[in-house]
Amino acid sequence: MSVAVRNRVRVVGSGKATLVFAHGFGCDQNMWRLLVPTYADRFRIVLFDLVGSGGSDLTAFDVQKYATLQGYADDVLEIVEEFASAPVIFVGHSVSATIGILAGIKAPAAFAGHVMIGPSPCYINDGEYVGGFTRADIESLLDTLESNYLGWSSNMAPAIMGAREQPELGIELTNSFCRTDPEIAKHFARVTFLSDHRAELPQLTAPALIVQCNDDLIAPLTVGSYMQRKLPNGTLRVIDNVGHCPHLSSPGQCASAMDEFMAAQGW
Amino acid sequence: MATPPDPNTENSLFDRAPCGLMRCAEDGRFLLVNHTFCEWLGYDAEALVGQLRFQDLLTVGGRIFHHTHWLPLLEMQRSISEVKLELKHRDGSTTLPMVVNAVLRMADGVKVQDIAAYVARDRDKYERELVSSRMKLQELVTESKRLHEEARDRALFAEQMIGIVSHDLRNPISTIQMATTLLQHAVVDKAQRSIVERIFRSTQRANRLLVDLLDFTQARLGRGLSTTLQPIDLHSTIREAIEEFSLNHPGRLQHATVGEGACTADPNRLVQLVGNLVGNALTYGNDETPVTVTSRVSPQRFSIRVHNFGPPIPSATLSKVFEPMTRGTTATSVQRSVGLGLFIVRQIAQAHGGTASVTSSAEHGTAFEIDVPST
Repeated sequence: MSVAVRNRVRVVGSGKATLVFAHGFGCDQNMWRLLVPTYADRFRIVLFDLVGSGGSDLTAFDVQKYATLQGYADDVLEIVEEFASAPVIFVGHSVSATIGILAGIKAPAAFAGHVMIGPSPCYINDGEYVGGFTRADIESLLDTLESNYLGWSSNMAPAIMGAREQPELGIELTNSFCRTDPEIAKHFARVTFLSDHRAELPQLTAPALIVQCNDDLIAPLTVGSYMQRKLPNGTLRVIDNVGHCPHLSSPGQCASAMDEFMAAQGW
Repeated sequence: MATPPDPNTENSLFDRAPCGLMRCAEDGRFLLVNHTFCEWLGYDAEALVGQLRFQDLLTVGGRIFHHTHWLPLLEMQRSISEVKLELKHRDGSTTLPMVVNAVLRMADGVKVQDIAAYVARDRDKYERELVSSRMKLQELVTESKRLHEEARDRALFAEQMIGIVSHDLRNPISTIQMATTLLQHAVVDKAQRSIVERIFRSTQRANRLLVDLLDFTQARLGRGLSTTLQPIDLHSTIREAIEEFSLNHPGRLQHATVGEGACTADPNRLVQLVGNLVGNALTYGNDETPVTVTSRVSPQRFSIRVHNFGPPIPSATLSKVFEPMTRGTTATSVQRSVGLGLFIVRQIAQAHGGTASVTSSAEHGTAFEIDVPST
């Protein structure tokens, strides 16, 4: 199976460097729709869906391979190898920031830098460390996921919901946003929220930007500063945003944080 | 709570609608909420508006979901529907399952979320039952697959063991057989000679048994019986096969031939087949009655029929007689074989492209026949 089909890889734009955008838990590459136009005239942009999400090939979903985030990181390395040209900046949202860290540690030469949007190396509280959640909280999430099969059997319908003022939201998009097999979604949720990669942080030597929202349930402020302390070459930028998806709700702030970071690196 | 509003006013349609209705700011703060929703969750409107956010009413799992699915979807599609969430009652100890729809729109120049929710207890209960029975079913399927594979492995192992053991037994037995043949010529004492002949016959039987076992495992392991077809004279092949028995059963065996003998077959397999059938006929047939072997060749087919008189095979057994491990129950333990002989007979017939059949009655005796059409 080709990597392009497996991960529904899309390449747009052109430039001296490549931005690889990786979506987080919940939705798919459409999450980047507001940032892509900002960078397409200056960068080569690679978009993809994690296996099990969006338009990825669900037959490629292998419970064994994707039992840890390393399985996803190995996919990222294949995508970078085939579609990106150096220098490569990996832009990962949420769990994909961690996936980027694992990929970067395995193949340091493949990445010039990392942009991490709302990252968390560990979601579960552990002694002094505040990840934000307990195991029971994650069980409660799995329960919620079990009752929701968005876009799987039924679907959101903007037309009947009175969102006609957004004509660019075509049928194709509504059918793929957040589409997940409930079983795969639960598996991914478990792998994501029970992962603990704090120990790996000191091994990522490439420059890294942490984009931290000031009000994010999934990645609290304490997590952002923890990451900055542990990453050898990390920069923390806190932006004013409620929620876990600033690239959708505050794309301007996201872009200016990224621009500043990339300019400082000379990209 | 204030006196209920006049149910006929527009205001009461919002307040008393048969679903929860609310308008929240972009960050989820309640701006407006109807009576139905407040009543369901035990709140006064004043306790919600300006005080709490919609997501504050969710369980932790629901709040994560709100962050990872609800907000991005609302941003991307401006609407989201059929989300099922648990909403916490004010008492803090109970939650209500609700199905929720939301639209993101502009009101007076700012983004607001309009939300509708209705309690879905029965639906929730039923869906949970569906999910749990689906999980149970998956467990059962996994378990039965595992058992099935284990059983198959065990069967395969047993058959392989049979194959290995019978193969390894061949060498010592053929040594005994050769030594016995030498003894037959050397021993002159009549009593001793009779003992040597018994050893010889038993060794022959053991040998046939081993060959059958090997063939059985081969057939069962899916490789089928191997045959080497060649032009033969059927009548003389059968005659030679019978002669082996005639020495020990003088006068009981008769051979009838029909047609010219030329046909195409594996002579070694046919000798094996006749050996099995004649061995059975001598064992199960009446001691003083003849066993008749008829070999028949025509341009279209050839057949071999082995007939004996004696007690018939019970009709219940008759239909299964070619299955492995089936045998007549009337024989004494000394006469018993392990019940592979007839299975091998049918396998040999099939390997030649033919069939094996049996008829049995008290009046006409028992006849096994294999029938092979010319190719």
